[in-house]
Order: sequence, then C-alpha cells, then structure tokens
Amino acid sequence: MTLELVTGNHAAGYALSVAGEANRGARGAACGIYPITPQTEIVEFVARFPFSKGRVIAVESEHSAMGVSIGASMAGARAFTASSSNGLAYMTENIMVAGFYRLPIVLTAVNRTLGPPWNIWADQGDTLYLRDFPWIQLYCETNQEVLDSTLLAFRLAEDRRILLPVMVIMDAFILSHTQMETELPEQDLVDRYLPPLLLPHELNLNRPTTVGGLTWPRETMSQRIEVDEAMERVPAAYEEHRATFRQIFGRDPGGALSPFETEDAETVLVTSGTIASTAREVVRERRAAGEKLGMVKMKMFRPFPGDRLLDACPHARKFGVLDRDYAAGSGGVWWHDLRAALQGPRDGAMVQNYLTGVCGGDVTPAMLNEVIDDLLARRSAGKPVWKGIDK
Amino acid sequence: MIEIRIHGRGGQGGVTLAKIIATTRYLHGFSVQAFGLYAAERSGAPLQAFCRFDEQPITNRNLIYEPDHVIVLDATLVGPAITGGLKPNGWILINDPRLPYEFAEQFPGFRVATVDATSIARSNELGTRSVPIVNTALAGAVARVLEFEPESVREALEHLGFRGKNFDAASEAYERVIIVDDVDRHGAKVTHPVTPTHRVPGIVDGGGAERPVIRTGQWATEQPHRREWTPPCNHVCPAGNDVQGFLQALARKETDLALETLLRTSPFPSVCGRVCPAPCMDSCNRLSLDEAVNVRDLERYAGDHGRVDVKPLAKREQRIAIIGSGPAGLAASYHLARLGYRVTVIEGGSSLGGLLRTGIPPYRLPREVLDREIDRILDLGVEVRLDTRIERRDLYRLTLEFDAVLVATGLQELRSLDLGGGGDGESIMQGIDFLDRANREVVRVDGEDVVVVGGGNTAFDAARSALRLGARSVRIVYRRTREEMPAIAEEIEEAIEEGIDCEYLTLPIRIEPGNGDARLTMICRRMQLGEPDDSGRRRPVEIEGSDFPIECDRVLLALGQSADLSVFPEGSEVRDGADVLGLLETPVYAIGDLASNDGTVAGAIGSGRRAALSIHYVFAGEELPGLVPTADEVIRAGSLKMHLFESAPSHHGMSRPAEERRLDYGEVHAGIADPSEAERCLSCGVCNECDRCVTYCPEGVLKRVGHEFIFDYEYCKGCGVCAAECPRNVVFMTRL
Repeated sequence: MTLELVTGNHAAGYALSVAGEANRGARGAACGIYPITPQTEIVEFVARFPFSKGRVIAVESEHSAMGVSIGASMAGARAFTASSSNGLAYMTENIMVAGFYRLPIVLTAVNRTLGPPWNIWADQGDTLYLRDFPWIQLYCETNQEVLDSTLLAFRLAEDRRILLPVMVIMDAFILSHTQMETELPEQDLVDRYLPPLLLPHELNLNRPTTVGGLTWPRETMSQRIEVDEAMERVPAAYEEHRATFRQIFGRDPGGALSPFETEDAETVLVTSGTIASTAREVVRERRAAGEKLGMVKMKMFRPFPGDRLLDACPHARKFGVLDRDYAAGSGGVWWHDLRAALQGPRDGAMVQNYLTGVCGGDVTPAMLNEVIDDLLARRSAGKPVWKGIDK
Repeated sequence: MIEIRIHGRGGQGGVTLAKIIATTRYLHGFSVQAFGLYAAERSGAPLQAFCRFDEQPITNRNLIYEPDHVIVLDATLVGPAITGGLKPNGWILINDPRLPYEFAEQFPGFRVATVDATSIARSNELGTRSVPIVNTALAGAVARVLEFEPESVREALEHLGFRGKNFDAASEAYERVIIVDDVDRHGAKVTHPVTPTHRVPGIVDGGGAERPVIRTGQWATEQPHRREWTPPCNHVCPAGNDVQGFLQALARKETDLALETLLRTSPFPSVCGRVCPAPCMDSCNRLSLDEAVNVRDLERYAGDHGRVDVKPLAKREQRIAIIGSGPAGLAASYHLARLGYRVTVIEGGSSLGGLLRTGIPPYRLPREVLDREIDRILDLGVEVRLDTRIERRDLYRLTLEFDAVLVATGLQELRSLDLGGGGDGESIMQGIDFLDRANREVVRVDGEDVVVVGGGNTAFDAARSALRLGARSVRIVYRRTREEMPAIAEEIEEAIEEGIDCEYLTLPIRIEPGNGDARLTMICRRMQLGEPDDSGRRRPVEIEGSDFPIECDRVLLALGQSADLSVFPEGSEVRDGADVLGLLETPVYAIGDLASNDGTVAGAIGSGRRAALSIHYVFAGEELPGLVPTADEVIRAGSLKMHLFESAPSHHGMSRPAEERRLDYGEVHAGIADPSEAERCLSCGVCNECDRCVTYCPEGVLKRVGHEFIFDYEYCKGCGVCAAECPRNVVFMTRL
C-alpha cells in the first residue's frame, strides 16, 4: 500500500482499474467511456490502464457508454463507467436498464450542477434525481473514501443476495480535482477482496434465455418486489463487506452513515459529501463551547438507512438537513427522505431544510454557524432556507 | 496550517505549481491539499490555484479566503485582487524581472519577493518561447522564500516525475529570487474587502436590471489585427496590373468588373491575354500546391467578354505628342487621354500597333482583337498622324508644338551576324522584316527549307509563319538549350507540335552557296554550356572541330534588336520614364523598349503608364497611387495556410490540333470557355471576405459589416482562432 498525492478522479480511476484487473481470472474488465467535465480524468485513467484481459471502448455518448458496460456485464465482465451532470441525464435510460437487469455495474458519478445555465461545479442534483432507479448510491467525503467505496461497491454489487449496480459519488472539484494524500492498495490486496465475478444470469450459449421481453403486470411486479427485497438486504450486506475490507486493507471504508457526537445531542445536522467535513469541524467547535450538538454524515442514500439514522440519534428532536441540491418545487431531496423516515418512529421531531452550496457555492464554517444559530432559535420548521445568497 | 493562493492565467501551470508545493510538504510529513479554481475559460483567463499544508490532517474543504502567502505568475495580474484576504506580513512572490522595491509601495504590510521565472524558464527551454512554463522555476523561488529545505523542490519534482531542465530552473530560481524583508511587519493595517453576495438578475425577472459586466478583453495577452499584403502576381506584373483583383472579380463571375480592373492599368487585356509571357504565373503561390492559376487565359477571357465604357475623366489643355504606336506609345496615349490630355500619336508606318501588328502573327494575335483594343484608345479622342517619320530636327519642332513629347520608337536596330557572302537580301533576311512582309501577305516560301537563327519569340513567330507560308521544312538554330530560350514556353511547345525542328547548342559560322537543289549551305558549330554570364544564363562555348553543314533555301535572323537613339541629340542619356533632354522647357521622355529593352508587351505597357503618370504629376501636381509595391510587402506561399486550400488542376484552355493549324493563319489557341479557373486564385494576402474568421470566432466578438471587419476588443480574449483560420495571413496576432 503506498501513500500518494492524488486527486479524487485519480483515486476513482485507480480503484475502477484495479477492480477490473482483479477479474482477469474470469471474464476480464469492460468499460464504455465518454468524457465530460469534471469526470474525464477518470475515464482517461481507465483508458491508459494496461488490463490483462478486457476492453475499454470509447463511444459517441454517455448512453452508449453505459450500453457497452451493460452488454459486457451481461457477458460476465466486471463492468464500470463514469459520468457527470448532463452526461448522466443522457445516460439515464440505460442507467435504469442496468438496474432492472440486476447487473453489478459500478458507476463513478462526479456531482456537477445540471445545466442550463452551464455550470461545472458541485451539486448533487444530477445523481439524486436517479433515486427511484434500482441503484445503490454512496456519497463520499474524501479521496480515500472514493477509492475505498469503489472497491467495496464491486463486492456489494456482485453479492448474490444483492446483484444491484452501485453509484459511487463525489463532489466536483472539491474532491475530483483536489490532490490529497491517499492510500493506493496494490493489486494483490484488491485480488483478495474482489474474487472473480460469476454472474448467475450471465449470458451463455449453452443455456439460451430471452432478456428484456414483454411481461405481464404480475411478472413485472414480482421483479420489482425482488428488487425491493434486495434493497432491504443492502445495509446488512454492506456491513459485512465493510468488515472484510477492514481485515484486508486495515482501514475502515466508513459506514452507511457516520454519526458524530450524536449520543446525547438534541440538535443534529444531517448532511453528505464534503459538506460533512466542514459540518463536523463546526459541531466540534460548538460542542467544545458546551452546546449539545451532533451531526450525521450520510454516505448511503439508496437504500435510505432511516432507521439506522434514528438509532444513532436517540435524543435528537431537532434536525437540520443540509442539501446541496434542489428538487424544483419541493426543497431538498435528502430532507424529503429524512422527514419520511421520522414519520411514525419520531413524530413531532422538527426537521428544517437548508439549501447550502447549491449549484457549487462554497459552504463555509461561517455559513454553517448561521445554520446552527437559526436551527437552535427555531420553535417550528419552516420552508427550506436558501443559504449563500441574499434572496 | 499554511495556505497559499496562486494567481495565474489559464495554461501557465498554476495548479501544477500548487501540486509541486504540496508535494514538497507532503514528502516532509505534512497533510496537504492542492487544487485549482476551475472555470469554463480557456488559455489566458485569470485563474487561481490553491495549496494548504498542515502537520494535522486537513479537514477543511473550503476555498482559501485568507491566504498566508500569494504567488503571482504573471505581473500583469498585479492589482488589488492580489492582496484580497492576505494575512498581514504575508509574502507576495511575483514573477517579474523588476526588483521587489518596485512593488513594495503598492503592498504595505506585506513582504514582497520577485523572481524572473519567465526568463529562467526560457533559458532552460521550458514550454515555448511565447508560452514559457514557469511553475518549476517558481517552485524553487517558493522554497527559498518560505524557507523550505533546499533539496525539497528537487525531491518533489523527482517524486512527480519531472525531467530535464526543470531541476535547473528550480535551483536557478532558488538562487535568483530577490527578497525584500524590511517592510514594517506591523505596518499598515490590512483590511479584507467584503464582497456582498446577492441575487443576480435572472433569465425571467432580470430583463430590465443591470447585469454584471465581465469585459473578457481584459484577460487577453494577444489581440488580433488585420493587414493586407501584396500578392506576388501583382508584384511582378510588368504592366502593373492588379492581377489578384481581376481574378477575384472573375471568381465572383463579375466579368465587367474584372475588365474594368485591368483597364485601370492596361489598355490591352485581350492582347496580353494572348501574348504575355505571364511572369505572374511563374510567381504564383499556387505552384507550391499544384499548378499556377492560368492568369493569361483569364485575362483574355476578361478582355474578350467584359463590357466597359472607357471615358476621359477630365478635360485638360496640355497637348502631348507620342512618337511610335507600339504598346508603350499606345499605353501612354491611353492613360494620358483618360486623364484628359490632348494626345497626338505620330506613327512612321501606315497603321497603328507597332510590333503588335508587324511582329506578332495573326494566328497568335488576330487582327480584329488588336484593332478592337486600339479603337478603344482612339475613342478617347486621340489624334493620329500616320506615315510620319520623325528625325532629330523634327523632334525639336515637336517640342515647340507640344507641351510634352514621348518617344516610343522601340528597337529599330536589328542585330545581325556576318555570315559571309553566300546569300542575297532575299535568301538571308531579318526575321522581323520577314514577319512584317508575312503579316502584310507579300511573301511566300513554298517548298523551301527554312532555317531561323535565334531563340526568342521573333524566331518562333518567323518559323511558324514560314511553315504557314508553304515551307517544306523549318528548323530553328539556337546556340544554347531549350532551357535558356527567351521565347514563351507555350510557343516553343506549340512550334514543336507543328513540326518545327530545333537545333540546340548550334552556332552559325558562315553561309556558302548551296550544293545541288539547296540555294544555301550554312556551316554551323556545336556548342556546350559553360559558366553563367551576367544574365544568369550559362554561356555557350564553341566546340572546336565540330563544324557541320545545314542545307537550306532561306535563312531568317532573329538575334534581337537594339535601340536607335539617332532621334535624340548627340550624347543624350536615355532612361526609362525620365526626361531625356532636361534642357528644353518641354519635357521629352523615352519609353518602352527604346528606354528599357524589356522586350515584352507588358513591360512596354508599364513603361507607358509610368511615363503618363509622371507627366500628369508634372502638369497637374497630382501623384497617382504607387506603381510597383516593394518586395517586403509581398506574401509568399510559406505565409499562407496552404493546408486550408484544396488541390485542383488548372484549366489550360483548348488549342486547335497542330496538323490543322499549321496550314492557316487562324488563331491557334481558343482560350477558356468560362472563368471558373479564377476560383483557383488563393487571393494571397488580400481579404476576399471568405468569412472564416467570423465563422470560427468562438466568442462572437468578430463581425463583418459590409466590407469592414470589426473586432470587439472589449470582449476578445485573444484566443487566436481567427488568425489560425485566416487562409491568407490577413488576420494576425500581436502581443499586448
């Protein structure tokens, strides 16, 4: 394991490549690639990687890039790709196909504001809008977490109890283009963590099957229920693969969520991605001053680990949800899911939404202090509050 | 934690500098971050990069608002933004050759250091001369200023895989950085500008509101400009024609405008379109792509098909006599008559045209074509006196009668060879006299074997005329090779096609009475080529003992002509376009071959025109536009974007078959049927409004209004796409 100074993109490209290489004993690696800022460096890295077995195929659009990965995955390859923003929007039809085909594809998504107007900076809207597809979504906070989560994603996706594709997600530029020290594991360690892929429904000439044909409502609904059951199993399976990761790499890739000082906290900030780093520092400072604050960093968005969140915050009655996204007409997306999770188990808890760093703005400690001040002073929740701009 | 902000421009390597600095600290156990502030802008836009390092793990994910130090990659960025948020006593390291004191006053309360990283990068050949890569040099300077371990930059560069002279640049900058450390550490109070963040007017509600203005032109390091060049065809045209101009008019199918363009300088487009040796075609930049544009046939097309009414531009009182009606005399008459002078042409012969009529056979220049162009000159009101030979005493009389006299009598002295007494005046004749008689249809050579001595157009015209007048065989004897022949290449080619033999490297020695049937025996000697002479052609040298006889009936001598200056007073100095006498009140000019011995119709036309303009300057004081552009204004193929042009073969026009045309006086060459050949003209160095620059401008800051191209320098970032896309080098970039 070597400690290198690399960007988030480099970390993702490295992890995708060594994971693909680890399948050389089976049907190899496959990646359809198409560039878009800010993820282009990822597919550039993958395209340069000397795979022992497999193909990297440059295509004419994101839609086809996922198409290549779908085809290769159905043929048993360890398949992956990367995209961002409007590229993901264009890829969307095939993103959905990959999920309902139950293909263990890993997609690195670099969060970038959906245009127009044209904007290249971080905003989670481009992946959160894919929330209703059968994909697991993992949001990362550091370059190291990007690398670790990518490796874990393959193991989770290929778990026969799961067989769902995984999106590993990072903030544009704040991670994708920022160099920080990152542990890069050697191939033999990765080989131990990621055994050769044996896809149960791999296409096989000796066992011809029809895929994707017309089915009646009842059969289709059964398939949806299978997806739902697989989603139910994800949090537990995740913990198993996290534990194995720790054993092999000697490092914790992080849980589905990471609570900080929440055991006694009455007021808790809930956030994700790199905003979590800033929120943790602000909470640390204010707790030192005696305030009963906590914060939870959410890594897993799909499936949404709502019950685990409540378990982690037994005394919280006030939640401030920091969304780096905006769902037109209904505030922040994380806010919706948290409110749904609290409904019933903790009726009466107050949940206030703050739209922070939407469209790529910098979320500073000063801004989060304002958020906390506002939250502490509130008697009841109101409409989502836009931060970073005088409305 | 130490935080550093780097101010640079896109393409200067600022983010890499942040990474190098971060690596120096990372290798010494620090937690580090290096990142850029990215935008959608390209090369040259002001950008920022950041680096932070700390002994504790870094959890800060924000931009850097209050840096401990700043680094400025480009002194043009020095301004208030540099110190925005900079902590008191922070370092400002500027890439600039000046001393830090020159900046220190602007930055009270901070420490300033300068290093000439640009010249260090250049001397170490990092990047290109226009875009030197300065980041490794600046890393060396940073290490010195921030007191890093001296070896730390080398370690970082090695770790990052840098090679070559980057190491030298870093150590050189480490040594050369100049530091001012005497600024008062507790001097002026630093205040951080606070920029309020408020809503910007949006797409829907912001229609009437004031929007933020970003004048991107401020980012430019280069600006596009336009200038036009002289195309080589225009430069070499002896007549001074705007070749590019008439070709572009023809390319747009504006035949009348093409003819009008030609008539500005020459009254003889249809003539030159048939007989000009076309030096424009030898200098055509298209030769480096495929073949020269067929300018000669296009000029003929314009002359034959264009319709232009030429009228005098004014009415003036001065009377001008022109002696001689060859191309020089007629060209001068044309221009002077157009300028409104009262012109009288005095011709010794019985018809106008001089050598155009007597020397060039009708199968090359049909008489009706010549008459049409002469009539256009006469229609301007030129008076003509035929059959009037001018001797020296007549010239003096003319200076009393007229306000100016131009002498354009050409080359009347014929060069000859003393070949002994083997023939008479009929069997040995000057080619020019033979042509005159042939053109007047008063000579036949039926069944004769004819030998022509010489290699110029007169030799070939005489030879081909002899063929048409019944000769059994025609042979040209020339003392050099085909390469050195001064005749137009096409005419040599056509003559050989018609069955004329050429004896190269052959010198006639003498003529004796013939043996048997032949009237004459010409004894010749073989030659070989030696060293080049003054004209640049290799001098022929006789081979002793190689004499051999040629039996023939008639010998035509076409050895060239020289000027007969007997009309001028003894000792007169004759120079082209200059007053010959200088002592009389009336100016007397010698023009055309008489003065220049140029030997081409186009040269004579140019001489006549220059004289006309000089006379006009004398009488009217008006200087008309320049005649021959200087060579340094001429654009060569190397300056054109040849890759933007497509190769296309030339249209050569049609000629009648040799076996048919050799028997009659009908025109040999039929010209070209349409002017599409003109579309092959590259319009070298002259904008022809192809609009590539406008089309390719990625910013929409270049527009064309009518014939004018307007750059919006307020918003032009100087990306250079317009210049890169200009096929003819009209758009170019200048450094700001």
